[in-house]
Amino acid sequence: MSGYQLTIDDYSKQNSSKILKKIIFYILLIIIIFLSVYFIIILDTDWHRIGSGASILKQLSYFIGLDLKIMPHLILPAFETFLMACLGTMLGLILSLPVAWLGAKNVTPLGAVSFGFARMLMTISRSVHEIIWALIFVGAVGLGALPGILALAFRSVGFISKIISENIEGADKKPIEAIKAAGGSGFDVMYYGIIPQILPTVIGTIIFEWDINIRRSAVMGLVGAGGLGLAFFRQMHMSNYPGVTTVILFIVGLIVIGEILSHYLRKKII
Amino acid sequence: MNNNEIYKRNNAKNFIYISLFFFIIYLCFLYLGIDFERFFSALGRFGSLIANRYYPVEIPYVLEPGYLGSILDSIQMGYLGLVIGVIIASVLAYFAASNITPSKKIGYWIGKFFIIFSRSIHETIWTILFVTIVGFGMLAGTMALTMYCIGFFGKLFSEELENVDMKLVETIRSNGANEIQVFAFGVWPQVKTAFTGILIYTWDVCFRASTIIGFFGAGGMGWYLKRNVLQLEYARTSAIILSIIVLVIFSEALSAYMRDKIYKETQ
Repeated sequence: MSGYQLTIDDYSKQNSSKILKKIIFYILLIIIIFLSVYFIIILDTDWHRIGSGASILKQLSYFIGLDLKIMPHLILPAFETFLMACLGTMLGLILSLPVAWLGAKNVTPLGAVSFGFARMLMTISRSVHEIIWALIFVGAVGLGALPGILALAFRSVGFISKIISENIEGADKKPIEAIKAAGGSGFDVMYYGIIPQILPTVIGTIIFEWDINIRRSAVMGLVGAGGLGLAFFRQMHMSNYPGVTTVILFIVGLIVIGEILSHYLRKKII
Repeated sequence: MNNNEIYKRNNAKNFIYISLFFFIIYLCFLYLGIDFERFFSALGRFGSLIANRYYPVEIPYVLEPGYLGSILDSIQMGYLGLVIGVIIASVLAYFAASNITPSKKIGYWIGKFFIIFSRSIHETIWTILFVTIVGFGMLAGTMALTMYCIGFFGKLFSEELENVDMKLVETIRSNGANEIQVFAFGVWPQVKTAFTGILIYTWDVCFRASTIIGFFGAGGMGWYLKRNVLQLEYARTSAIILSIIVLVIFSEALSAYMRDKIYKETQ
């Protein structure tokens, strides 16, 4: 930086160009908003189909009310949804253990090859939506709760294994070195050196993922897996709108219960 | 009682717990009507499905102008839903943050309720509901994504607001500032960076959701996916899924890069 002095003029010039860039950026963002509004609300929307505000309100008013008759038939699907979330999370944990092992830089066995492979698996698992996973598994194993469980498991693998492998990478090296120095094998290092360190965070992550999985398992039924999603789908197709409201309230109730449980469990662990 | 006995007893206890655990899982499987043969062959079936049906990926299909246009549709839906959702969610989050909310009794609960409610319902269910109300098309998708963003952004942002340093806020308030001034000079500067970070993250998540909601009647890529799934066009389906994966990875990388840049700039 010798021979170059930054005067106040230079500084203000730099600053003003920065501000100009910012303004252009914001104007671009706003232009995109207008474009989207134009394409979505003016070009793509059929206002005749929607009609006036009154007809929208009328459509909305169909949803008001509860269908008490279907309530007893919703308890078992709600339980099924809950079980699907639990089993899916558990299976996801089992599947994510090897992926996390391969995906942690300091313990991966084959260097860059296995590391890259595991990272690729994690990214694919996270970027495919649970509905698509469910579609694929319904095609593979047929209807029922099983494709839902598998879909939830495959969707959870990415998140759980990413957190676990990050924790393995950030684990304290001293106990690991000590076990290695005492002649421990790779398995000993894993079992006595790393797992005790990462266990609390991992359990917290699993509870968090379980909480999300309840939400996801409620929609698995829309594409053929069981649970409350299937009940929702049926009510929707029968145009029984109060029934739809009832199912949604059941879903919300289940999710709130799950959220309270997970909050309580995480507090207990931490 | 020596160590050996304790060890033995602990072992027996663990054995009982583990066998109980497996028994419960067995009961769950019985209850859900899953036979084990099907469960253990699931991975093999999955592999053979991918290899036999999905494998010859029909890449040219996703390069057709119709499909590329639907990608643009998805991006626009995600963007507009994000903008509207974030505007609503910011107000709700302001009310739902327990430390700075202007009305602790009513406003707090209203804000909290709306955020939890829109979070509890999955984006696909929102889509189905809005499709029944306003019909097929991108408007329903935009509304569904708006609700999704309210839940997602509202929760993260209200948590961020609750972590604000209250000393600064109190200082400004004790100098006679009104609620708006307190927010503008006490709260906003503290959460500005987090707001932008969460905003970009929400955009990423929202785009991910916008790729799929078309499956239930909103526009965009999901609609093409539904059509090809129903027509059993496996080669095209796998091409669409592949294109979604690529786009999601791209958006994730972009959002990670932008968040990194913003955090670096402010530090």
